[in-house]
Amino acid sequence: MTDRPVGATTDPRVEDVARLLVPWLHAQRWFAGKDRAVDGVQVVAASLLRESGPRVWHLVVDVDQAGAHTLYQVPVSLRDEHVDRLEHVFIGEAGGLAVYDALHDKDATAEIARRIDGEQGTELLDFHREPGAEVPVDAPSIVLTGEQSNTSLVYGDIALLKVFRRIAPGTNPDVEIHDALTRAGCEHVAALLGWVDGRWTDPTTGRQEQAGLAMLQTFLVTATDGWRLATTSVRDLYAEGDLHADEVGGDFAGESRRLGLATAEVHRVMAEVLPSGELDAAALRAMAVAMRGRLEAALEVVPTLRPYAAALNSAYDDVAELPGPVPVQRIHGDYHLGQVMRTVRGWKLLDFEGEPEKPLAERVQLDSPVRDVAGMLRSFDYAARHLLVADHPGSEQIAYRATEWAERNRESFCDGYAAGAGWDPRDQRALLRAYETDKVVYEAVYEARNRPAWLPIPLAAVERLAPASTPEELP
Amino acid sequence: MTALPVDGHHPLPARGTDPEWFKRAVFYEVLVRSFKDSNSDGAGDLKGLQEELDYLEWLGVDCLWLPPFYTSPLRDGGYDVADFKGVLPEFGTIEDFHEFLDAAHARGIRVIIDFVMNHTSDAHPWFQASRTDPTGPYGDFYVWSDSDEAYSDARIIFVDTESSNWTFDPIRKQYFWHRFFGHQPDLNYDNPAVQDAVLDALRFWLDLGIDGFRLDAVPYLFEREGTNCENLPETHAFLKRVRKVVDDEYPDRVLLCEANQWPADVVEYFGDYAVGGDECQMAFHFPVMPRIFMAVRRESRYPVSEIMEQTPAIPDGCQWGIFLRNHDELTLEMVTDDERDYMWAEYAKDPRMKANIGIRRRLAPLLDNDTNQIELFTAMLLSLPGSPVLYYGDEIGMGDNIWLGDRDGVRTPMQWTPDRNAGFSTCDPGRMTLPVVMDAVYGYQVTNVEAQLQNTSSLLHWTRNMIQARKENPAFGLGDFTDLGGSNPSVLSYVRRFGDDIVLCVNNLSRFPQPVELDLRRYEGYEPVELLGGVRFPLIGELPYLLTLGSHGFYWFQLRAPLQEVRA
Repeated sequence: MTDRPVGATTDPRVEDVARLLVPWLHAQRWFAGKDRAVDGVQVVAASLLRESGPRVWHLVVDVDQAGAHTLYQVPVSLRDEHVDRLEHVFIGEAGGLAVYDALHDKDATAEIARRIDGEQGTELLDFHREPGAEVPVDAPSIVLTGEQSNTSLVYGDIALLKVFRRIAPGTNPDVEIHDALTRAGCEHVAALLGWVDGRWTDPTTGRQEQAGLAMLQTFLVTATDGWRLATTSVRDLYAEGDLHADEVGGDFAGESRRLGLATAEVHRVMAEVLPSGELDAAALRAMAVAMRGRLEAALEVVPTLRPYAAALNSAYDDVAELPGPVPVQRIHGDYHLGQVMRTVRGWKLLDFEGEPEKPLAERVQLDSPVRDVAGMLRSFDYAARHLLVADHPGSEQIAYRATEWAERNRESFCDGYAAGAGWDPRDQRALLRAYETDKVVYEAVYEARNRPAWLPIPLAAVERLAPASTPEELP
Repeated sequence: MTALPVDGHHPLPARGTDPEWFKRAVFYEVLVRSFKDSNSDGAGDLKGLQEELDYLEWLGVDCLWLPPFYTSPLRDGGYDVADFKGVLPEFGTIEDFHEFLDAAHARGIRVIIDFVMNHTSDAHPWFQASRTDPTGPYGDFYVWSDSDEAYSDARIIFVDTESSNWTFDPIRKQYFWHRFFGHQPDLNYDNPAVQDAVLDALRFWLDLGIDGFRLDAVPYLFEREGTNCENLPETHAFLKRVRKVVDDEYPDRVLLCEANQWPADVVEYFGDYAVGGDECQMAFHFPVMPRIFMAVRRESRYPVSEIMEQTPAIPDGCQWGIFLRNHDELTLEMVTDDERDYMWAEYAKDPRMKANIGIRRRLAPLLDNDTNQIELFTAMLLSLPGSPVLYYGDEIGMGDNIWLGDRDGVRTPMQWTPDRNAGFSTCDPGRMTLPVVMDAVYGYQVTNVEAQLQNTSSLLHWTRNMIQARKENPAFGLGDFTDLGGSNPSVLSYVRRFGDDIVLCVNNLSRFPQPVELDLRRYEGYEPVELLGGVRFPLIGELPYLLTLGSHGFYWFQLRAPLQEVRA
């Protein structure tokens, strides 16, 4: 088996597959460029993982959309005959072979597990196994539904392989942080078992690039995500018109507190084993400037925010006036209830990729853990109110209950965090308010663009964080 | 009671042929005082219990657990024993017990009895001799001291009533040691004569033919300065000695340990793993019970899933005993302080419902007499790992009387019929030792065995059907346990598997209907067959298996392997 970097391949079917991908990509959930046509797909790296039964090619392709280039990872399996159970992931025919999405093909995915287990790389792919990790080489895999930007599959109920579909050159923060936390023995993540790195030559710059392509970790077999668990509690509260949040059976405060503890613990370990630093006054001013810039841009998209602009900006002014230094470290970066799982052994944090829309350099930037706290506090607000939007529009009674639930759980989360960290995020008032405000502004833009019906959720928070400026206060 | 349709008796198998019967058994705790009065003196007795064995056989229970019926001044529900070899006269005689035991065995029902190892009543002749004759043969049978300062690290168990573990005896003019009430002096196990005397008493009952003991309060047998005087190595050594006597001389008998502790600590009472356990074969799993209440109240499976995850493996020859309610309060020692306050607030709304660190209520009133919840709780009791212990009366949803003192509120007479004294006794109602429950919801006029026997959709018939279903599937008693988890936090699902007997249990802990998608890929091609009705469900495929459950609903499925095609 040899690797065949593009151009050197003797398998003409690889180029055929690239052509098949042009229409196919558009139908894939993880494909980010659905709003534009695909003008071309070029294979920038091809590795033959398996000769036959099925033949498995691992491809990294450059997708050209009106001159904008994005890299995607597409492993394909090629079979002599059509297979019924794979018809739903049929890509097309190339050179007389049926081409399928290999991540759905158990025979193909078994090859990936075997290679991680044996650290059996190719010219362009490195397969790594964590020291001492047990890789399930015989368990059949199945693709999990519900993933947005990646494809995750689970081997038996033992291990989860997360395949990053969109590739950014550089060290993958998800792999990097899981590796560091696993080696540090942190109990609050799913332990890393192995990962796959890839190399390719950038077709435009001619530069050699590399990136983390996939990550194998312990599957959290009995887990429920935090969003499901929290909204179960909210639903329970809504059903009891006359009871307060601390009185109903589904009270979530205990879980929120434990989640706060787990979050503090993960932050602590990350600060220990990954880079950390400090923000001085100048850096804090720069941060405030960036936040103001995002608010300015948001006012164009969500004019409803305008009356609140001055008050929202005052949150950033407070940060600009902080003397520093503020300790910073690697953080989660996109922290919310959907990024945590409740297992029978407590809470586990997932997905350390950072906010997927941001460039990699920004995602790995050091930041204050207060940003993660703010993200989770916003998430409690969302959990409390999202059913309101869908099921109880205009009900003031339930809106009151929702506020109560959010307040109770936000406080419990902070209590837990303070108990775990030794410092209370609520004491970092300027930072916490600024991060929350920044997040709310982001949410308002997102909802205005994607789910206008949900816009009231961030707007209610805006009211709380920044009461509308009275005319006297306006300049 | 009316005659019950039992198709022929199935006596016990020969001794020595079924040493692990307790792993499959459904236990039934019955108080002699409260089950049936045969002689109209207002208190239940052994002959009365014998009269109702047909009922218990019909119900399908395998083993009765009798709390103490020993001679006793009855200051602690009989746990204050005044004669280890005597029957309390109002309950009958040793001959009555012998007859009852034979009658039970003839119906295939085994009997285990309580044995209080740690202490006796202060009315016991040993104590009387010890306090009056310090140098006599019993002078050293108890733990005496000139001061009340020794063993100060031992906690006080009955915080409601006791201020010290030492009580001054004005006759001997010394303090005696007691972990429980001041009228229950602890035996001095450092004295070899005490060990021999206790073994002699155990042999007395084993010779009569009983099938085992529930050993009350075992962690406290020895005292050592500088320790909390619980779970000491000497205590384990003595239990090994007891077990050896049982193994050598009395086949097919079981020792059930009562140690109200976390499972990780209780497992020490099973003894050596390498030999399959050499102390008690069974121990109560205490925390699972309050966790079930918590889980349903919170509509979250985590309280139960967590405690199952934290439960260590036990030796091959051993089994947990699990229960929802018993003659004691619903103990809340195995929950956190927050959870205890919460449980009190939820389940003990009247301060009289609290007792020590627990709640004194029966199952049905705890659940507001909600049939769906009672059935869900019972289904979990019968399907979680361990041998279930039912509490008399809970099979008909009996209520409690919180106005009775101490724990008598949950020990009221069994309600057989809507007649006088609930059919429990023909005595003058004023003579009843404990009054029958008479309130509008749980009173004997509405809640009684006769009515529920006639109504095939009653809780009683339902409970019987569930016991039958459990007995037909060895996986419940002998199988391993796998929590399936799943995306819906309000649904607790698990698989019990023993060989090719695979049972899937799905429980909706919520008040609302719930869907659940289960990852059953390892059983791809299997057919789920509902256990109570035999209904066949769609075959399991590769995709998540979707089930919907009504509020507080549950399913028991047997997973049947695909039939092997017969080649012509």
